[in-house]
Amino acid sequence: MAEHKLLLKYTDDPKHKHVDGYVAHGGYTAWRKVLSSMTPDQVITEVKASGLRGRGGAGFPTGLKWSFVPKDSPKPRYLVCNADESEPGTCKDRVLLECDPHSVIEGMAIGAFAIGSHLAFNYIRGEFDFPIAVFEKAVEEAYAAGHLGKNIYGSGYDLDVVTQTGGGAYICGEETALLQSLAGNRGMSQMKPPFPAVEGLYGCPTIVNNVETLAVVPHLINNGGEWYTMFGTEKSKGTKLFSLSGHINRPGNYEVEMGTTLRYLIEELGGGIPDGRKIKAIIPGGASCPFMTPDQLDTPLDYESIAEAGSMLGSGACIVLDERTDIVWTTYKLIKFFKHESCGKCTPCREGTKWLTQLVERILNGEGEESDIDKIDNICHNILGRTICPLGDAAAMPVISAVQRFRQDFVDRIKAKNVLPMEQFPFN
Amino acid sequence: MSDTATKTQSETPAVELVTLTIDGRQVSVKKGATVLDACRQEGIAVPTFCWHPKLRSLGACRMCYVEIEKFPKLMVSCATEAMHDMVVLTDSEKCRAGRKATIEFILLDHPLDCPTCDKGGECDLQDNAFEYGLSDDTRFAFRKARNVRDKNSTFDDLTIGPEMVRNQNRCILCYKCVNANQEAFGEHDIGAYQRGHHTEIDAVPGGQVESLYSGNLVEICPVGALTSSDWRYKIRVWNTQTVPSLDPYHADGANLTLWKDVRKVHRATSRMNDDIDDGWISDIARYGYQVATSDRRLKTPMVNKNGVMVEVSWEEALTLIGRRFKEVKESQGAPCLAGVVSPNLDLKTLHCFNKLFRGALGSNNVDYRSDYSNLATDANSTYSYMASRSFSIANLASSDVIFVVGSNVIREHPNLHLKIRRAIFEKLGWLYTANPFVTKSGDCSTDEMIYQPGTDEVFLNGLTLSLIKQGLADKEVDTAKIETLLVPNTIEKCAEICGVSVERINECANRLAAAKSPTLIAGELVSTSSERENIAKAFYNVALLLGIPQNKRGQAAILAKAANSKGAEALGLSPELTEGQTSSLKNIFGALPELQGSNWDAILRGAVGEEIKAMFIMGANPVQIGVDHSHIKKSLESLDFLVVADLLETPTTALADVILPLSSFAEYDGSFTNLEGRTQDFTRGMKLVGSSLPGYEVLNLVAEKMGFNLYADQESLQDEITNLLNSYTAPERKLHLMESHYPSPAQAPENSFPLLVGDALHHYGHLTEMCHSLLAFDSEATLELSADLASRLEITSGDSVRISCGKGEKLILKALVSETLEGDTLLAAHNFAAKPANCLTSREKRVAYVQIEKIEKQ
Ligand SMILES: Cc1cc2nc3c(=O)[nH]c(=O)nc-3n(C[C@H](O)[C@H](O)[C@H](O)COP(=O)(O)O)c2cc1C
Ligand code: SF4
Ligand code: SF4
Ligand code: FES
Repeated sequence: MAEHKLLLKYTDDPKHKHVDGYVAHGGYTAWRKVLSSMTPDQVITEVKASGLRGRGGAGFPTGLKWSFVPKDSPKPRYLVCNADESEPGTCKDRVLLECDPHSVIEGMAIGAFAIGSHLAFNYIRGEFDFPIAVFEKAVEEAYAAGHLGKNIYGSGYDLDVVTQTGGGAYICGEETALLQSLAGNRGMSQMKPPFPAVEGLYGCPTIVNNVETLAVVPHLINNGGEWYTMFGTEKSKGTKLFSLSGHINRPGNYEVEMGTTLRYLIEELGGGIPDGRKIKAIIPGGASCPFMTPDQLDTPLDYESIAEAGSMLGSGACIVLDERTDIVWTTYKLIKFFKHESCGKCTPCREGTKWLTQLVERILNGEGEESDIDKIDNICHNILGRTICPLGDAAAMPVISAVQRFRQDFVDRIKAKNVLPMEQFPFN
Repeated sequence: MSDTATKTQSETPAVELVTLTIDGRQVSVKKGATVLDACRQEGIAVPTFCWHPKLRSLGACRMCYVEIEKFPKLMVSCATEAMHDMVVLTDSEKCRAGRKATIEFILLDHPLDCPTCDKGGECDLQDNAFEYGLSDDTRFAFRKARNVRDKNSTFDDLTIGPEMVRNQNRCILCYKCVNANQEAFGEHDIGAYQRGHHTEIDAVPGGQVESLYSGNLVEICPVGALTSSDWRYKIRVWNTQTVPSLDPYHADGANLTLWKDVRKVHRATSRMNDDIDDGWISDIARYGYQVATSDRRLKTPMVNKNGVMVEVSWEEALTLIGRRFKEVKESQGAPCLAGVVSPNLDLKTLHCFNKLFRGALGSNNVDYRSDYSNLATDANSTYSYMASRSFSIANLASSDVIFVVGSNVIREHPNLHLKIRRAIFEKLGWLYTANPFVTKSGDCSTDEMIYQPGTDEVFLNGLTLSLIKQGLADKEVDTAKIETLLVPNTIEKCAEICGVSVERINECANRLAAAKSPTLIAGELVSTSSERENIAKAFYNVALLLGIPQNKRGQAAILAKAANSKGAEALGLSPELTEGQTSSLKNIFGALPELQGSNWDAILRGAVGEEIKAMFIMGANPVQIGVDHSHIKKSLESLDFLVVADLLETPTTALADVILPLSSFAEYDGSFTNLEGRTQDFTRGMKLVGSSLPGYEVLNLVAEKMGFNLYADQESLQDEITNLLNSYTAPERKLHLMESHYPSPAQAPENSFPLLVGDALHHYGHLTEMCHSLLAFDSEATLELSADLASRLEITSGDSVRISCGKGEKLILKALVSETLEGDTLLAAHNFAAKPANCLTSREKRVAYVQIEKIEKQ
């Protein structure tokens, strides 16, 4: 298994982001096919058959999620594209929005049709000025060309697509917080159930999907769900985008078949570590995933294998850390991020991330005690599984893996009792 | 009549039960209940912070953990639905560890300032920390310095509302206050700002937490983060005792608890009654107890001696009253005596009042409706009929369509307002409101219809016509002659006059007709209108066409406003008695005076016309609150002898020959009958202020001076009342459509605007001016006007405006540009004695039209 460009096939072609360029590459044929010859159930069946799983981090089967929308609800339904991409290290949705916006629109349209929605939102991270502009232009072009609007292709189906800029918080990428923010409220996560598919935006059935998930959908219609299962492993189908960053020669977005090894991604595609240095740790799926170690380089990149290796595929942000990296400091950076981004709703996440930050900071300041390491681990376990949304887990898991897999680094740091001046940190 | 109202219509659909095991016990609960509900039902204590029984669970605090078999994680019981065959442990090792971790997180930088915190002694955090936080291995990261918060997150106390102080350091960010404010009250004046552990609870930027329900937020805050200025630093809670009490103002009958020590009452809080209040009370009910402790209270009787009020002994005052009443009775006849009593007084007092006049003095001239004018003179009026229909607040929950006409619900019935909101949101039901101005209930209404002031019956007749024309009317009602009964008699014409379009009237009619269990509510704008009978008939017609009086479905009533209006009606405190009342009263009083009594309208006329010579006013303040200040004042001035009993000096006591100090509801035991006809008791919370006495004792002393005794003991008095209430039957009638004519309106004078006079948001009647906490919200009478009108007249909030009416009366008020009001209607409050807004109203005119001009600022 190796690189395979399905989503990134045309992203280098500047014409592709316009409707004509997209259509020239076969764009909108899936949408036409759906409207002219398919029922919502048939669409869902194809997506289920493909085995596509959500690319936003949780990896939930997409077709199954769509089928949760109650068929008999008298309320309007909504489809929401989650383009709030803010997980540190992740920049894969951005490339799709910027270079292939019509595939996102087409995916949104097909998803909306599948759940009977006539209004779809794209909730794009507020700081994404350029992607927002490109996407909005694309929506305008799609309306003009008759791919959106009233009575599309004469089918009688109406669909509007609205762009909403994000509320400027990482938590607004979490689906329930996103829907609160979209409705004009403070972006805070809500308890589930009720799940958005039953009670989401304005209390109506709503499906939230990641940009990449939706961009895959037109391919499933064009080629059939079955076709997609050719790629990938037994349980993780298709291709996946990875955002490679950190101490790497060629950082960037790469698309590989599920099951490709971490080593291939880092060494073949990323060109290895600069100056031939050794790898110290890898965060395979974004800041919320536990660290992996160099001995795990041959792990295949699929949901199951990574989980077996003690980490998560997450959003596919692969961060490589070389031997010079100070893990205590990296941990500090991570936990500080989560502390800053905690929505503050539930006690363990709000208070726990703050406490952890203070403890790691104390160690960095040369004031730590060895018992702090166990205390950190214990606090993490008081957060883990105790919060409303997964942000709490996301904060705890990398920290747990840091103190467990790199305990010696912490011990050394505490024993040395030295304060490292900021500029000496190798990785800023 | 006490409980019939609730029973008549509550639907009892078969409830599906689920059975689970909690700590080894089998528990069955209604499907949909949470695990926490199940625990509470079984009496198993589970600690909570963010949960409230009447709100959707937030799951924020993570205190209520339980362990459930097959669930790998600890579950928050408040947000986990109870399922069949669940096996729940509430006190396992794992549970306790989870709760302990939560307490540890919360205490991380909670200031341990319990000795100076008002919540101390009734703080959920204190209690839960004691249970889950204490042990020798308590581990805090920064133990030595742990109550020193880092500078960035230390906050000073902040006053965020007229009665609210926030201490962010103590806030455990459970979000209960924000949640309740939005969900239960539909208010947005408190919110969370910043993010994560920097989150702050604060008033909306540029605003204050000042809704009618603000005090509830203080009450439900689990810690001392929100405190009320009223209670702050007054007394430690463990040095108080509680007694059950009631909202003494509104007819909803919200339940209160009074907190007292040996000296006096220190605060009032809610006392949850699911059928009425859900544990929410208005700030008027909460701070209204301050009438008991106000230093404006009358403490001794006073007698007018040569134009000067002189403090005298009870003996002297009573002797004078006895002598003068006897003189009038003997020289001019008993019908020259009249009595007016407030429907905010308790049942014992009302009954004694009746007994004094009808029994001892021999006059049927008694009334409790001094707030109204143009009263019907017939016990079988349609108004009385509609006002005495059974009504249940609890039944709102099963109403699929609620229709409100002529009622600013939030100001008349603060609890009903919340129940309506809840019913609408929980059932996703439909609410239609029709009023001459925008009201708060409009927020959650499907359609908020605004009709022209003084066209209430026209709007309702439009609805009647719509129901008939669309074939939606109850088939058994004879509608053939409708065109001859109504003027105007086409829906188009009605729409044109009232200003609500035919389409909207039709839609409302459709929705009402489709309802399984509609609730129709009419309120004070109907009761206070000079066309009340006409409007009542129009309202009745709509109800009839929907099959409501026929008991086919739903409920419809004109709702009473005062805490005991219903009691006053049932006890026979107005001259028009039903046959049943006449015979019951005869039984009790021995006999009733022959001559038909005069109602309040006739009493006022009689006073000017020399037919009424002496009057006893108890608890009412018609000069300030009644319709038409100058008319009432003139009438009372014409009397030979006027006795007024009240809590404080008022514009009415100013005209009295004798003033008697009355005790407040907090000083004696009594009962009120609420708008549903439910009789509830309140309990004495402090000793009588000064030499004041409860109404019934005052009345008995007066009676004794005339050689009568109103009661042998309290039990016999109570028995008489119970008998009367139980034997009371509301008027019945033949069910057919009524005539309702729209009288052609007087031409509105040039450049003038309709004015409605009523209660300010945070006040009720004349007493609340004694409550300093309520004055903190509204301290003076204002003229509310819409932003649109304000801009046309170039008036801004705070400007002084002169208001004048045709009669030549003038009043200067401060303008308040309202956020909700639309159109030209003006609202003025009558709660402030110094500004008698009723000087602008008239007993003849249906709508008061006034001119306003801005007084140039100096
Ligand atoms: C803290 C947090 C942040 C998240 N941010 C994103 C995001 O930026 N983009 C995204 O697609 N999903 C994000 N998610 C996941 C979403 O909640 C949700 O699972 C996803 O949008 C569903 O789409 P999918 O099924 O297509 O993966 C986030 C989740 C959490 C807990
Ligand atoms: S886990 Fe954190 S981000 Fe998620 S709801 Fe709780 S406080 Fe908010
Ligand atoms: S102020 Fe009180 S009720 Fe509001 S969030 Fe803080 S602790 Fe909870
Ligand atoms: S009470 Fe259940 S989470 Fe707060």
